[in-house]
Amino acid sequence: MNTVLWIVFLPILLFVIGTFMLGYSRKYVARIERRYGPPIQQVFYDIFKLMSKKTNISHGWMHDFAILMLLGGTLLTMYFVPVPGFHFFAQYGDMLVIMYILLIPALGMALGVGETANPNGSIGISRALMMLAGYDIPFVLTFIGFAMINHTTSMYELIQVQQAGGFAGWGLISQPLLGIAALIALQGMLGEKPFEVMVAPHEIATGPMTEMGGKFLGIMMIQHAISIVVELTIYINLFLGGAVNWFDYLLKLFILFTALISVNAVFGRFRTDDAVRFMWKIPLPLAIIGILFIIF
Amino acid sequence: MDEKITQRSVWEKISAKLSKRSLWMLHYCTGCGAIELPPTMTARFDMERFGINPMVTPRQADILLITGYLSVKTLKRVVLTYEQMQAPKYVVGFGSCTINGGMYWNSYSTMKSLDRYIPVETYIAGCMPRPEAIIASFNELINKIDRGEANSWKDYYNNYNFYKENQEHTFEGPIETYNDIKADAALFNIK
Repeated sequence: MNTVLWIVFLPILLFVIGTFMLGYSRKYVARIERRYGPPIQQVFYDIFKLMSKKTNISHGWMHDFAILMLLGGTLLTMYFVPVPGFHFFAQYGDMLVIMYILLIPALGMALGVGETANPNGSIGISRALMMLAGYDIPFVLTFIGFAMINHTTSMYELIQVQQAGGFAGWGLISQPLLGIAALIALQGMLGEKPFEVMVAPHEIATGPMTEMGGKFLGIMMIQHAISIVVELTIYINLFLGGAVNWFDYLLKLFILFTALISVNAVFGRFRTDDAVRFMWKIPLPLAIIGILFIIF
Repeated sequence: MDEKITQRSVWEKISAKLSKRSLWMLHYCTGCGAIELPPTMTARFDMERFGINPMVTPRQADILLITGYLSVKTLKRVVLTYEQMQAPKYVVGFGSCTINGGMYWNSYSTMKSLDRYIPVETYIAGCMPRPEAIIASFNELINKIDRGEANSWKDYYNNYNFYKENQEHTFEGPIETYNDIKADAALFNIK
């Protein structure tokens, strides 16, 4: 019964958290730019407005389907990532499964944007997949490194191991090289500023979102809100010792997200090739050296 | 008009209360008025306080801000852009050029009155309006949405023949816009 309640309410809970985090990030960036900024619930207004649009132009069957695939892929990932109090699905899917299904949203977006036949959208998708090659390899290597030390690929067991070791057992403290590599890769995964090549409003008119309006964009914003929480949770579970209770969890989310958007607020945007080159020059060697430390 | 306002259901009133807090703006800046927009968006006047954000594509935008004059060529692009926007959409005419031609009154190539070609929700008078005037007109638009009076976009679906006639008269021929307005109005049940 408890599990059923979690399954029903977890998406809503993470959506609310993610939406407030996005609103907080807009306020935070506004304050850094010495503006007053929107209210913290602004993203709720945005999503409500998009969902209540009167016309929603669809470009075809695949366009409709791919938006659902985008949201579905994110929800699927969300269930496999353990949060405090709920790790029912974590026993059925380990980190290898999470690594696979993290790619579903990107592929869903590629299908839908392909149907709209907008050149800006196609460029955005090619950039998104290019960045995926950039940040995914360091991130997967840190996964592998952790599996090698602890002889398990289950994320739930990794949390247990870290919490047993106390503060010194945290992944970021015991394996700093892997932790830093994954932190930079996480910035790329969230699409925050130095690696914001996929959206790039000034160059390619928000890339994949160019032809999305009304409910399509609304669902994409819901997906984005949930996916940032899920991606930050993966990092917390691997490197910040998981979370014992919800207070601990929200505090870690808040601190990690603030650190990432502080970088986002003051940086410009890399070119696509520079972003991928950076990912393969800094985090990738760090992750490889970290794994070499583990092996020898 | 008054009857329509009183006939709003509770859901429509709540919807208007929430939707007015989020307006995304597409700025069509061929005229000189574009220079007044950066201060409106940045630290001095900061229109994001009201939930108004600049957007880059017509599909996502709610407000189409036309700054300054339109020539025959640019008017065609404005009509194309306007028809791509999703339905509750509001055109704001910026500066006296969009109202009556302004200082281009005697020009052979510019449009005089914007609302003959697309329905305009609010105008900002002046040559050129200061950022305060832009913020004031956006607040007026927000209040209009709240009261349920910002329905000019329905005019384009219901009186499409009027606008199409004016467009074709100006372009001296049929205009090809890739959008079937009457079919859209029937599909999405816009009255």
